[in-house]
Formats: sequence, structure tokens, C-alpha cells
Amino acid sequence: MRQDLTSFDGGTALRQRPASAMAWLLMSPLFVWVLAFVVAPTLIMLVYSVCERGTLGGVVFRFTWANYAAVLDPTYLNILVRSVLFSMVTTLACLVMGYPVAFYIGRAPEARRNLLLMLVMIPFWTSFLIRTYAWVTILKSKGLLNSLLLQVGMISQPFEMLYTPGAVILGLVYTFLPFMILPIYTSVEKLDNALVEAAFDLGAGPLRAFSKVIVPMTSPGIAAGILLVFVPALGLYAVNDILGGGKVDMIGNIIENQFKGSARNWPFGAALGMTLVVAFAAALWYTGRRQNRAA
Amino acid sequence: MKRTLFFVALVLAATVASTGHTKQAEPKEINLFAWSEYVPQGVIDGFTAETGIHVNYETFASNEEMLAKLVSGAQKYDLLQPSEYTVEALIKEGRLYPVDWSKVPNFKNIGKEFKNLPHDPEQKYSVPWMAGSVGIVVNSEKVTDPVKGFNDVFQPKYSGRIVVLDDAREIVSWALATVGKGPNDVGPQSLEQVKPILTRWLPMVKVYDSDSPKTALLNGDVDLGVVWSGEAALLYVEDKKFQYVLPAEGAHQFLDSLVIPKDAPNPDGAMAFMNYILRPEISKLISADFPYTNPNLEARKLLSPKELANPASYPPGNPKLSGFLDIGDLAVPIDKLITDLKAKG
Amino acid sequence: MKRVNTMLGAWTAAMMVFLYLPIAILIGFSFNTSRLNIVWQGFTLDWYAAIWRDAVLVKSLENSLYIASVTTVISVVLGTAGAWLLYRYRFPGARLWQTLIFVPMLVPEVIMGVSLLIFFVVVHLELGFTSIIISHVTFCFPFVLVAVQARLAGLDPALEEAAMDLGATPAGAFRRVLVPYLMPSIIAGALMAFTLSLDELIVTYFTASAGTRTLPLEIFGRVKKGLDPTLNAISTVFILFTAVLVVATEFLKRRNASLVSRQQQS
Repeated sequence: MRQDLTSFDGGTALRQRPASAMAWLLMSPLFVWVLAFVVAPTLIMLVYSVCERGTLGGVVFRFTWANYAAVLDPTYLNILVRSVLFSMVTTLACLVMGYPVAFYIGRAPEARRNLLLMLVMIPFWTSFLIRTYAWVTILKSKGLLNSLLLQVGMISQPFEMLYTPGAVILGLVYTFLPFMILPIYTSVEKLDNALVEAAFDLGAGPLRAFSKVIVPMTSPGIAAGILLVFVPALGLYAVNDILGGGKVDMIGNIIENQFKGSARNWPFGAALGMTLVVAFAAALWYTGRRQNRAA
Repeated sequence: MKRTLFFVALVLAATVASTGHTKQAEPKEINLFAWSEYVPQGVIDGFTAETGIHVNYETFASNEEMLAKLVSGAQKYDLLQPSEYTVEALIKEGRLYPVDWSKVPNFKNIGKEFKNLPHDPEQKYSVPWMAGSVGIVVNSEKVTDPVKGFNDVFQPKYSGRIVVLDDAREIVSWALATVGKGPNDVGPQSLEQVKPILTRWLPMVKVYDSDSPKTALLNGDVDLGVVWSGEAALLYVEDKKFQYVLPAEGAHQFLDSLVIPKDAPNPDGAMAFMNYILRPEISKLISADFPYTNPNLEARKLLSPKELANPASYPPGNPKLSGFLDIGDLAVPIDKLITDLKAKG
Repeated sequence: MKRVNTMLGAWTAAMMVFLYLPIAILIGFSFNTSRLNIVWQGFTLDWYAAIWRDAVLVKSLENSLYIASVTTVISVVLGTAGAWLLYRYRFPGARLWQTLIFVPMLVPEVIMGVSLLIFFVVVHLELGFTSIIISHVTFCFPFVLVAVQARLAGLDPALEEAAMDLGATPAGAFRRVLVPYLMPSIIAGALMAFTLSLDELIVTYFTASAGTRTLPLEIFGRVKKGLDPTLNAISTVFILFTAVLVVATEFLKRRNASLVSRQQQS
């Protein structure tokens, strides 16, 4: 019954049939889609990453490794490491904050579950910019949170919250929390009621019940949530600009700047992007293989 | 239960599907690719009502964004609205269509200080739209000492109270100004010379923001900064305590212009539009919508005293202003320099 | 168990406060007289009136809703079918496909936007709704697929086989047994896809045309002039409209259900 943390991708441990003609036919739209709109554009960027910079943006088709050599500069490697760290902290915080919510929604009376799911999602049907500027209003030195803390006397002078790394993490957690809650919910929802009851009644306290029984059974959802938070959080830079004051760059800032900033250095931006994609695709591939062997 | 969401999606889809999305093939139209919020809807509607030419207004948020879409060749445009250094780059690459000035007689309304500038020395390709500058904005309630130039801004006592544009080339040009160099003097030696200055400056900065530096100033999280004049003008309208100063060492004046790409499907329509916006009474509408410096001297005569008194739109005195030129590959080490310094900070 | 549930409920309520705090600010500022939307000045309803004068803004919201709805439908079909088929059948190179599907989540938006733009030029696809929807589906369907795969992991294979043994065709078994079983994850995936599409800015910029501006593009364009409270007002109207719709359908269904059960009793 034990589920490996990475069994989200395909669940290959189970009996699979060889693909029939019908299976191929049904699968073909997705394969075609991936080839046309994922593989082809990625190949375009791969080619661009070994070309020279074009004057108006774009590239000149002359082969060079220089862009990849530039990626290896310590400045960019440091920025990459920092981005990964921010993304990891965000993912962890989303997991800790989101898991109990997902569990509660998944165990709620059936009639209420979708209503609660909608409640989690509706805040994100507003504009990202306006939402994030609302956080500025809350966190600024004369903002709501500082006024509140001053009033209850917890602090004696305004506490610097905006334009700090903490504000960036807060913004990232806010943005990605639903993407942790929803996949975990889908795992919790299918748990057998009797099993959950038994875990709590027989176990030595709720914490043990959670860690020994419930969490292992919902691991596919946890793995999916980690994937859906960690990976997109890595590339997001707008939160860093607005809540962090743009003081330290994220890898997303650097890449965006090569296309939309005055440097207009598409090949270098492409090389950075390809490095990111290859590194994480390899990591996913590797975890997948390990899980296969374990199974 | 499951159908709730489906139902919501269905209703939403039905609402929008009923509005129809097919574009009518207009015989007379021009494709305008311009900065967002920079061409008032009233001006476009007036032009269409008068000429019958429909305007497709597509927007961008930076010169480079515009170039990315332009060089891809995905769409053909009749009018672009680049800033001075991008106009120059487009001319150098042979991408522009020379304007037939006999079809744009209202060009005479443009002030002579906005004609024959280095980016279009023979004035063959571009019609100035609006000009602006990059200068210092000061919250005069918090900063009482006089601030006249960049060196007055980047002082240890203002550390952690400064906002600047998040733009490597701008930042480097300010440091260049303090050593008496123009913004286009960006060779390796110049960069070496300003590196220690920037090493001192950047740790004092609290916020980098190109999109809306006014936010941090209005919130009181910073007290002074180096920003676009348009931001300063909006701040001044909100509260007179925000004062705009053009740095004594010299400042960047940007000039956004209308140009016609070489492969424009309808250059005559484009020139008709150029001529239309150069009318004083139309140009005045553009000024009313956004408080930049209007290069159209006839239009300036129609502005209210209040509009003309905004120091961020029409700075008093005789400031030292210069435009950016296209610096080609030299933009790459500038970007790297600022990235390095920020990463250390 | 009861105590645990109360604690979880309290935690969920606290998280809801966290999620809705900025939304409360957003709604509050839609009544602010200050144009710049940064400092509170006074109460007004003018911005709600301003929505109706702002045809460009309303049009961009319509465009966004249309794109997000179509994107969601296509993403759900591709993602659910893909997850199921990859789970059930052995395809050569399945792991490679699986990794390729994740690539759109990994690629920074600006690179995805530029490379899709160049791709559309190469294949002569005119920019417009089609190009935007293709781009959005490409980064949205992996979210559906991952959610459905999480649900499939640990599925009792006997479930499907039992249905087939009872004489159902594979398609029938899929529809009557699997789809209901997968429904929570399909709903979760659809919600994520809709949300991501509705708020996407950068990929949309590169793949949109003059006639297909979306709400995020429109809003970002207005930052320079100051995000005026009209934008808060239109967001407020939209989420309130959605909330009312959700509650109303829920209410109607409950009433129907109780009517049915009463009829059955009598």
C-alpha cells in the first residue's frame, strides 16, 4: 500500500496493457499537441540559444557557445541557486498551510466540497497586479498590518515588511497556495471514511494518525502539489518586483530582461531558459526512473 | 454538485460567445502599434469619423517588447510609436518608410528643438508624439535640504529612502552624467569609470520600479527618487509636496515618435493619421490625457495655465537634456554590470 | 476525531482570511475617491459608473472569459484523457512524453511567448483567439493532467475490471465508473486551468492581436497612468457575480434534490 512520493507521474507500478490501436488513436491529439506546441517551440529556442545577438532583438544565425559560457558566470549561478531556495521555501510553506485545508475540504460533507473549492479559487479570478498591490497596501510602513500591530501595542514603531525577502515569500505563498490545496484535495477526497476514523480512534493521537496513516495515503496528491507549486514559482518574477522592490533579481527577472529590457539579448535569454528546462526535466526524469526501479 | 462548475463555465461561455469575435475585413484601415494608454480613444474615434479609416490599436509596454513582435513578422503595421533610440535603430536597419511631408503639412506645428535630432538627423522618418524626461522627484515634507543633482540624491543619509527606475541603461547614464559624460558614452572605459560610483549608489536604493515608482513615493516608503517625468507629474497632481527637479548634471530627454514601417500596407492612411494628430486641437487632447511635454507648439498655446505650470511637464529654466542613441552590443555589458552590482548588494 | 475536525475547520477559516484579505482591500478601494488607488480618500460609487463608459475594458473582460472558457474545456479533455491513457496503457517512450508534458510548466513565460510567436509565424497562423487559446492550453493542460494522475495513483484496478465484467464496453466503463471517480480531480484541474488562463499576461502579449486584447493586458497597460479604481470595480463585479451564480445553482440543486426525495417518499 505504500506510495512513493513520485508516483504521481503515471503510476506505472500498476498493471498496464500494451497500447492498442484505439489507445494510440485516443492519445494522438495529445501527442500531436505536445510535438507541435511544446517540442517545436522548444527546438526553436534551442537553436536561438547557440546563435548570436540580433540588432533589433531576434538572432543572427551564426553558431556560438558563448551564451552557455555566459550562463556559467557566478552571478547567474548564484541567482539561480537563490531562486531555487525561494521556490523551495514557498513550496514548503504552501504544503504546511495548505494540507490541513485540503484535508478539511476533502472530509467535508459532499454537498459542501465544491463550494469550498470555489471559495479557495475565486480570489484568483481578480487581476494579479491589483491583488499584489493590495498586499502593498497591507504591508507598507503605514499599512494596515503595521497600524494594527501598533494599536494592540505589539510593536512601538512601524516594522519594515514591504520590500523584504519575507514579503516576496509571502506573495509567492499567496499566489500558489491554491495549487497545493487542489491536488491534495483530490487525494484526500477518495480516502475511506472508516479508515480515517479508525486511524484517529486506534492511533496514539492525531499527529501520529496523520503522519503514519493519512499522509502516506495522500502522497500522490502531495507530490502533485509540490510539482505544481515548485516549478511555476521558480520562474515567477513579478511578485519579486512589486513586493521585493526588485532589489535582488530572480532567474525569471534575468531571463525576462534579455527579451524585454534594453539588452535585447535573445540568445542569452534562450540559453538561460534552456539550462533551466534541461536541469529540471533531468531531475524529474531521474526521480521517475528511481521510482520505477523501486516499484 | 459536479454540475455547479460546469454550469458556471457554460453561462460564462454563452455570455461571451454571443458577442461574436469575427473581425470584419475593412477596406480602409490602419494598424497602429503604440504604447498602452498613450493614444486617447477620443482621438482614434475622431480620426475614423472624419476619414472613414478604421484604426486597429495594438499596444506594447516597452520598446523591446514592440521590436520583438515587429521582427517576428507576425503582423504588418502601418504606424509604430518607438522612442528616440529605437527610431534610430530602425532607421539604421532600413526598416522605415520615408514620410512624404507634402501629405503631412501640419508638421510645421512642431517646435524646432524637436526637429532634426541626432536619432533622425534629416527628419525623414519620424513625427514627434510626446517628450519627457528622467529626473529627480523629492517629497519636500521629508527632504528639506536642497536636491539639485544625482550626487544630492545618492547620499548616505538618504540610504533606504530612494526609488529608482529598474532599467540598467538609465541608471548607468546618471552615473555618467556625474562624471561629465553624455548618456551615449558607454564604452568599456566609461563603464570602468562609473563602476565605483554605482557600487556606492546601488546599496542605498530601496526600490527598483520602472512600471509605477509613484507607488512607493505615495505610500511614504521612500522619500525621493529618480523617475519618469510622467510619474512625477501624476504625483504632483496628487500632492504638491512632490517636486520634480531636472538634475544639474544633465538629464535624459526621451522623445516618442510616430514612424511608418517599410512594409506598411497603408502608408497613406498612416500619413493621414500623422497629419491629424498634429492639429493643435487634437494634440491638445493628447496632452490632456497624459502630462508629458507636448512638442507641438501650436497645441501648447491651447493648454490651460495649470497644465503649463506642472514642472514635470514643462520644466522651467534651460535644463541640459540629451536623447539616447542606439548603442548596439554595448547594451550587453551595461546589463551585466547592473546585474552584478545588484547581486552583491 | 471531532476535536481534530474543529481544529482543521479553524485552520481552514484562518487560511480563508489570508486568501480574502487582499480581496477585501481590493473591494474597499473600488469605493475610493482617489484616482491613484494607493491612499484612501473618501467614498464614491463613481468607478462602478465608469465601467459602463469604458467599452475597451468590458470588451477585454469578455475576451478573457471567452479564452479562459475554451482553454478550460480543451485542457480538461486533453489532460484527463492523457492521464488515463498513460496510466492504463504502455506507450513506447512514456517517460519521455511525461517529461515533455511538464516542459511548459518549466519554461519561463517570456520564452514560451516568444517561441510560440515565432512558431505561429513559421506555420502562418494569424494571431488572434486561436493562437492565444493554443498557447494557453499548452501551459494549462499539464495542471489538469497532474491533478488527474494524482487521483489515479492507487486506484483499485478491480474497479474498472468489475465494470467491464458487468458487460460494459470500455467506453461505457470509462464514462460510468471512471469519470465519476475522477470528477473531483477534473474539477480541481479545470479550476486551475481557468484561473491560470484568466490571469495570464506575458504569453498572451506575444500571441494576441489588436482585436484580442485580454483583461490582464489591458490592466498592465494602465499601470503607468495609475491603476484607477475602475479596475477594482470590474474585478469586484466579476467575483460577486460568480459567487452569486455558484450559491444560486447550489441552492437550486438542493431544492431539486429535496423535491425528488420528497416525491420518492410519498
